[in-house]
Amino acid sequence: MALLFHIILFKTKMFWKVTTARSMQSVIKNAASFVVFGSFAVGGFFFARFTTAYLLQHVQVGLFLFHRFIAMALFVFFLAINLGNMVVSYSTMFRSPEVHFLLTSPVSHLNIFIIKFLDNFFYSSGTLFLAGLSVLLGYGSYFGMPWYFYLFAMFGVLVPFMLLAGCLAVIVLLLLLKLAEKVSVKGLLAALIVFYFLQIVLYFTVTSPVHLVQEVMKYYPNVNLYFGHLDPPLTKMLPNYWAAQILYFVIAGRFDIVAGYWLLLLCASIASFMFMLAAGNKLYYSGWLTSLTLRLFSFKSKSAKKSFLSFEQHSHFEPQTEVLLKKEFWQFFREPSQWIHFSIMMVLVIVFLSSVGALDVTLQRPQWRAAIYLVLLTFNIFLMTSIALRFAFPMMSLEGTAYWTLRSSPLRIQSVYWTKFLILLLPLVIVSLCTAVISGIPFRGFPMLMRLSVAVMALAMVCLASLNFGLGAYFSNYTEKNPIRIASSQGATLTFLLSLTYLVFIISIFFVPLVLFFRAMYFNEQFHAVVIIIATAVLALLTALVSLTAHAMGVRSLRRDF
Amino acid sequence: MIKLAHLTKRFGSFTAVNNLSLEIPDGEFFGFLGPNGAGKTTTIKMMTGLFAPTSGSVTMNGFDIQNQPLDAKSTFGYIPDQPFLYDKLTGREFLYYIGGLFKMPKETIRREIEKTVEHFEIGEWVDKRTEDYSQGMRQRITIAAAFVHSPRTIIIDEPMVGLDPRSARIVKDSLRQKSREGVTVFMSTHNMEIVEELCDRIGIIKDGRLIFLDTKENLHHHKSKFDGKLESVFLELTK
Repeated sequence: MALLFHIILFKTKMFWKVTTARSMQSVIKNAASFVVFGSFAVGGFFFARFTTAYLLQHVQVGLFLFHRFIAMALFVFFLAINLGNMVVSYSTMFRSPEVHFLLTSPVSHLNIFIIKFLDNFFYSSGTLFLAGLSVLLGYGSYFGMPWYFYLFAMFGVLVPFMLLAGCLAVIVLLLLLKLAEKVSVKGLLAALIVFYFLQIVLYFTVTSPVHLVQEVMKYYPNVNLYFGHLDPPLTKMLPNYWAAQILYFVIAGRFDIVAGYWLLLLCASIASFMFMLAAGNKLYYSGWLTSLTLRLFSFKSKSAKKSFLSFEQHSHFEPQTEVLLKKEFWQFFREPSQWIHFSIMMVLVIVFLSSVGALDVTLQRPQWRAAIYLVLLTFNIFLMTSIALRFAFPMMSLEGTAYWTLRSSPLRIQSVYWTKFLILLLPLVIVSLCTAVISGIPFRGFPMLMRLSVAVMALAMVCLASLNFGLGAYFSNYTEKNPIRIASSQGATLTFLLSLTYLVFIISIFFVPLVLFFRAMYFNEQFHAVVIIIATAVLALLTALVSLTAHAMGVRSLRRDF
Repeated sequence: MIKLAHLTKRFGSFTAVNNLSLEIPDGEFFGFLGPNGAGKTTTIKMMTGLFAPTSGSVTMNGFDIQNQPLDAKSTFGYIPDQPFLYDKLTGREFLYYIGGLFKMPKETIRREIEKTVEHFEIGEWVDKRTEDYSQGMRQRITIAAAFVHSPRTIIIDEPMVGLDPRSARIVKDSLRQKSREGVTVFMSTHNMEIVEELCDRIGIIKDGRLIFLDTKENLHHHKSKFDGKLESVFLELTK
């Protein structure tokens, strides 16, 4: 135990020294981080407070339904933490050079496992923790909760909730590596993707949000009653349900029930942590050995040579562009963490789109329709934000230490920048336009909304890709080989928060025009489309401003000493 | 020809290279020596465009590296001290990649690669991904990449790191041959034997300043003042 604390102490010291370095650059960086993180927290607070007020006062969903929405959001949050931890923990716990070093020193495998788990948990959950805190503050302030509510909600609910998701992720990863000794990795990954896909489909099929809303609304205006009988039994076994119930009964003042759910959550977290330690003690080292020999693809050189993407084949492109394109392609598809993560994200997009495509909004009131449209738009943009962060941000850094080849070659470094950006932008715009069109299906009766979705998604994708790619170049770290660690670095977190701020801006400028639109449609009044056109123009202007600034920063950073 | 004029590089208050001026004519094999941290790699990085000088200029074969970077870079091949490659590409793909960056026609690249592969004896593993290479294999691919576009100048930083004796011999012979063909070679190294064996002229840098610059012939005169070894001259000068 003393050794464990010794290592943690030195890691903390190192972290402290890095974050409190007294150079001017460090001070500016920290000040900028403070401003962005602070703005994000304030933004998150007001957003949560406004959303709570809007849903409870204007849409009048009632406390029960509101907390069921929270449960659904927490389910997505839980999966995000879970998947995030699983992906990051593979690189942190199994691919990190620090593990190589620690394994050659007299530190037990269990201690290395604990150190790397903590490293992974705090690394991959920091931003989500901040997001959770600001949302909790917004939620609590709407209900006028006392200060100790926030302490309880943070450390009694949010931390155990996140810990549970993180521990389960690591347990699944350890089991996967154990199975990888005997089963094909491709098969395992396919099974994992199907498993998560089924979880999401099953959850939303069982909870059936539209049916739930219709059932509760039958009791309108008495929607503040407790409709526990509408909860499917299966969902009651899930931690997101326990957390939502804790919040609901705190607001209702039923602390006896709160205590029950809280104990359940706490016990589940502790049990999963203990189980994870036991699994780590037994499987970590063998899993690490397996990870050394793990290779998903072994492209046969002969087939690679025949492919039109082979370096040896002629192409219509100019030689420099051609080799840059081919290099990007092979680097992406020969790096498992790149294409696997991309496949997982595409599966999530498909799941989301297949769910929303079947949504029925014909009987909803104008506020509901506006809210649903905005929620769908928000989800679409959030998905694109995550994809842009994961794939656009690390793109320049992934040139890695081999960047000297480009810098010492006779080509304009700006052309490298723009070539890479266009390679990235094209698939992202295609995906975003698909999401815009499919998520617009429930509103197919309103062609203007479809056009709006397409315009907003196209603009948002250009902005998010530019922001992430430009700032990714600005914060480039050529010594980090792992794209996941690059995408969860401090610079990446800042970029993510800026992207979320942009997302909030989109919602703010379209909220009133959309409510006016749906009201006009509902009451058969005339609607002036100019309101929407002005909002879109404002968005286009902001997009241009953000994109140009990000690109200017990115291009400028390429001339830095290497 | 390489011309460094009043070249200076500062990192904050630390001056890594201080007012360095140097001219290396075409076809000369120049050895650049200095203790650790003397400013050798910083100088090379300014020559190759990886660092921007704080002041002064670098002219490579008549082109200023800062003002005419593309023209200047197309004339030289660079071999860094650490042979970092794109891990996911094979050695052959990497060579094609470099050929493309230098806008070489495919047929010429193919011909040059075949020649280089045979010359550096890398045929056995040139079609494997570079992530599976040892340090020596990486070094050989990096050197092959610098040769593939037939540069007028070769800039090489610590050429023998990680090379086994046979590979080292191949590299030495190749550099000597290139020099005979009229290629200018600028080589930074710690290895005194290589300097004595290959270089026409030697420069020693210490604390960012050039403290010694002379031909190999005159070097014998300096050596005779000590115990006849270049190592002793070096140790005395850099004391």
